[in-house]
Amino acid sequence: MPEIAQLIETHLSSYCAFGNPGSLHRLGVSAMESYSNSRRRVASVLGAQSEEIIFTSGGTESINFAIRGYLEANPRKGKHVISTRTEHKATLAVLDYLSNHGHEVTYIGVDSAGEPNWLEVESAIRPDTALLTFTHVNNETGAILPVSKLVDIRNRINRSAVIHLDCVQSLGKLPLRPSKDGVELVSMSGHKIHAVKGVGAIYIKSGIRMQPLIIGGGQQGGLRSGTESTFLAEAFALALEKSYEQSDAAYLKLTHIHNDVSSVIQSFGGVILSPENGSKYILNAALPMFEAETLLHALEEHDIFISTVSACASKNKKASHVLAAMGIDKSLSRSAVRISFSRFSQAEDIEQINKALGEAIKRYAL
Amino acid sequence: MTDYKYVILVSMGEITLKGLNRGRFEARLTRNIKSAISTFGRFHIFQRQSRIWIEDLYSEQPVLDDSEVAGQIMRAVSKVFGIVSVSLVRKFTGDMDNIREMAIRFIEDRLKEQPFESFKFETKRGDKSFPLLSPEVSSELGGKVLERFPELRVDVNAPELVVFVEIRDAFYIYADKIYAHRGLPVGSSGKGLLMLSGGIDSPVAGYMMASRGMEIDAVYYHSFPYTSDQAKQKVVDLAKIISQYCGPIHLNIVNFTEIQKHLYQNSPQDMLTITMRRIMIRIAEKIALQSHCKAIITGESLGQVASQTIDAISLTNEVTSMPIFRPLIGVDKDYAVQIAREIGTFETSILPYEDCCTVFVAKHPQTKPQRKHMEHAERFLDIDDLVSQGLEGIERILIE
Repeated sequence: MPEIAQLIETHLSSYCAFGNPGSLHRLGVSAMESYSNSRRRVASVLGAQSEEIIFTSGGTESINFAIRGYLEANPRKGKHVISTRTEHKATLAVLDYLSNHGHEVTYIGVDSAGEPNWLEVESAIRPDTALLTFTHVNNETGAILPVSKLVDIRNRINRSAVIHLDCVQSLGKLPLRPSKDGVELVSMSGHKIHAVKGVGAIYIKSGIRMQPLIIGGGQQGGLRSGTESTFLAEAFALALEKSYEQSDAAYLKLTHIHNDVSSVIQSFGGVILSPENGSKYILNAALPMFEAETLLHALEEHDIFISTVSACASKNKKASHVLAAMGIDKSLSRSAVRISFSRFSQAEDIEQINKALGEAIKRYAL
Repeated sequence: MTDYKYVILVSMGEITLKGLNRGRFEARLTRNIKSAISTFGRFHIFQRQSRIWIEDLYSEQPVLDDSEVAGQIMRAVSKVFGIVSVSLVRKFTGDMDNIREMAIRFIEDRLKEQPFESFKFETKRGDKSFPLLSPEVSSELGGKVLERFPELRVDVNAPELVVFVEIRDAFYIYADKIYAHRGLPVGSSGKGLLMLSGGIDSPVAGYMMASRGMEIDAVYYHSFPYTSDQAKQKVVDLAKIISQYCGPIHLNIVNFTEIQKHLYQNSPQDMLTITMRRIMIRIAEKIALQSHCKAIITGESLGQVASQTIDAISLTNEVTSMPIFRPLIGVDKDYAVQIAREIGTFETSILPYEDCCTVFVAKHPQTKPQRKHMEHAERFLDIDDLVSQGLEGIERILIE
């Protein structure tokens, strides 16, 4: 995003931006003002108070902090955690770690559209359930979690259980008001909203006690030590504002693009694996005549860059755990690719995909 | 005080057993050492009395005096095949008094670097006119050192430090030896074409044949988009690593996509791997002939995978009259991994970019293929046409 590039350039070349927000001289003070201002802007977009926002290095750190930070700070709330089988690896790895260190995790199954089985959720919640950690928009399929359903069930059965939402894929794309929605912890990432890689944030509802993951100089109220990066924080704030300013228009545009690309894929014999009512930013589909990686490389020749499952896990070469949980056959999921759109996607992209797919099939289909 | 300079002593292995050809092997080895260290400066490299000596060409700017650079040079030399060991040596002239003085200084310097308690001297006398015999020199030096350092002791069986003294055209004193990879100098046994994949075995096979003096060229079959460009880069990286031992490698990258697709569509699934191997060997043979290679080298190990059973290997052999060298044929996987670790290819080999896309691997490949199966599998294939397709548009990269 040109505005972000401009912002970072200004920061890096300006004398004033040199200051460390922790310093007492005027350079430091002005850096701290800039940092606090970024935090206020983020809070304002999310309808939160600025003390409820902590900047992090990205989605993975936020998720780690949300889950471990809450459970470690509140041991008396119980040792039971509820989640789903379709979480991102950042969550699954933390839960795996916790279950090896005295916690108990219940994983909820999902249906063929990726929606959690609500009866299972109801029966899983116990008096010692401390945390429910769910993904708002699934990173592989775009399946959207009906947050209000989850909150209602929690409120009905165990009000003291805290909800953490992984909003890395939904931030800037779907409406998000944590306090109004009734969730206590929200993880966010900067690069998914066209800020830069290396910045993220976490929303922590005021009054929720957290144990920091990173300790040191006591920055950000002691919750996340490390010198505050003024330009990363501002890039995050600006990107977030821009995303929400344009999210309605983007949604309309992407609905068309998503539908048209789906039709193109189907016309080539492909199968759409994303749920119908899912996010318009993610399209998961399988063209059974290709292994996913073959299609990825074939489209790369046309400067179209898609992913096999989640980019973070693609080097593991395993079939997608998300598609497996949705009951998708392995023979189909080995062909599954994920096409991501953004508000910068154009109608012309559809024709380009159409052409590239046609050629890939002609040249490389087996 | 006796003046000395640093030189590098290279001990040769098997070459010294050669008869009339020995000169040729030594000349090749000298040349290979020269090219291995050419980036470090200019050196005088010469052979004398079964040893190769490396000296600074310009004595006013000695490179070898810098122990760190000397260490790098020795490590580069130790990767040249045909060498048993490499040592950094102090060279000086004079008589027995100078040898005594240098022996004490050498021990003194060593004690500063790292304390030790026991030592012994080992003397070799190339100059038979020297008035003392080798054991006499050793015991004389040992005595003098004990006078100067009474806390030390001589241990002839298991000393902590062995100091070598050589009496030749000049005197030489040293202690440490970097052990090298032995073998024969690359280029003394002709040239072979290595079928290099991204796996663990083929780089090791190339290394092993180079250790027997073969120059190496390589061929890689690339099937984009079924295999990624990262897989190709991995092969280039592997070739770079083994070129430290083998010298420059011409890597031939064959565009195999269309051929592989054609095979997939026109031959039976269970015979796919072996049909593919046979085409690869045919293409390799043609490349080998063009680049004056006299053998094909593969990383095959008997029984490791379906294409490496005795029946499959027999059928693969049939397509060429050129010798196929398989240095790993009787080697356990663990041993191949051990060598790969030693030569530094292992970490690259295990990167997760596959060298052959899983779509082209049959679920149940034929492990005991017979000639009739082969004839049946190839009956619809225009072999000559596929081979010439492979030879078209080869990308050739020089790796050094």
